[in-house]
Amino acid sequence: MGGMGGGVILIPALTLLGVDIKHAIAISILSVIATSSGSASAYVRDHLTNLKVGMFLEMFTIVGALAGARLTLVSSPRPLYVTFGVVLLGSWAALFARQTGAQGRGRAQDAFSRWLELEGSYPDQASHETVYYKARRAYLGAPLMFGAGIIAGLLGIGAGAVKVLIHDLVMGLPPKVSTTTSNLIIGVTALAGSSVYLFAGLIRPALAAPVILGVVLGAFLGTRLLVRLSNRAVRLVFLVILFCLAAEMIVRGLRGV
Amino acid sequence: MTMPPSTRPASGSSLAPARRALAMDAFVGRILLYGVACSLLLICVGLIWQRLSTGQLWFQHALGGMNLFRLLATETGQALRGGVRPRTFLDLGIAVLMLTPFLRVLASVVYFFMVLRNWKYTLFTAFVLLVLTYSLFLR
Repeated sequence: MGGMGGGVILIPALTLLGVDIKHAIAISILSVIATSSGSASAYVRDHLTNLKVGMFLEMFTIVGALAGARLTLVSSPRPLYVTFGVVLLGSWAALFARQTGAQGRGRAQDAFSRWLELEGSYPDQASHETVYYKARRAYLGAPLMFGAGIIAGLLGIGAGAVKVLIHDLVMGLPPKVSTTTSNLIIGVTALAGSSVYLFAGLIRPALAAPVILGVVLGAFLGTRLLVRLSNRAVRLVFLVILFCLAAEMIVRGLRGV
Repeated sequence: MTMPPSTRPASGSSLAPARRALAMDAFVGRILLYGVACSLLLICVGLIWQRLSTGQLWFQHALGGMNLFRLLATETGQALRGGVRPRTFLDLGIAVLMLTPFLRVLASVVYFFMVLRNWKYTLFTAFVLLVLTYSLFLR
């Protein structure tokens, strides 16, 4: 419901249960496909997702995810813990700054974004109105999404937090469109990363199966909640989760896991 | 000139492309929904069968050194030879899960090409499909 695939919660939880972080990342990225696809199916049918924005940016995230997953295979666990925490903390800081006034909307659409037809509308159930919007700065969003793809593949988290920030702060999408479009992109990005982990033998079906069932149930409930919540409530939930998990992972990385 | 989200439609928008876009939303949504549902069903069958036949939920095997095509070929081949077992369902559930976003991209290519006749997005989605095909099937 926060535009995240669920990996940010799952990986710390699995490592706390004694699962090796690389196996946790591999299982997480697989479960991210399930959460993303499960919730995206409802968002797309509810016309909250902008398919063109998603499909344009996927070109960059999948290439990044393939590179990121390969980095994980050659990395040791401690840098992965610290990187995980730093990425979450960075996302939290940017989101917090945005809440205090740094809004990314309110400027004219550039020629490139217009050429890409990056505009749309969605029915807002909270205000009972149809909201029309135009995305901008796709030329900046695209390379940034390549970076988000690297993070997704590297850490197995879907990197929804980063993607939402890029959609929101850089491309000026409304929060609900940015979270739901992020959800759509996460699935394909995670698929690219999981192909590397599958081939490397890091996916253990015995662990993956119950995890997938659990996260899909959570995503199902979250999806139904999102369409009834205000943008402010969605952002608040997002902020609290990011901060707690960032602190936990950085401490574990610095302590030597 | 400012361009915040508004409750007014963009000027020059026509109804027919908007209707086709809504139909595409529904189409993509159905693929994702049915794919995840099918995957979950297979995983549940595998877990329940394992529990009933062995009294536990644990599986020993790992999926190492294979791409998605190899995984699908191995498990379906085993099933066709009469070797259906709980892990067949579990592995196929995982394979179907991975195929779901792949099929969504494949459907998007077809939809942009055949229905919307949008060459730009046909090319974009075809690129995504090409990279995914390589990473999933040709590695």
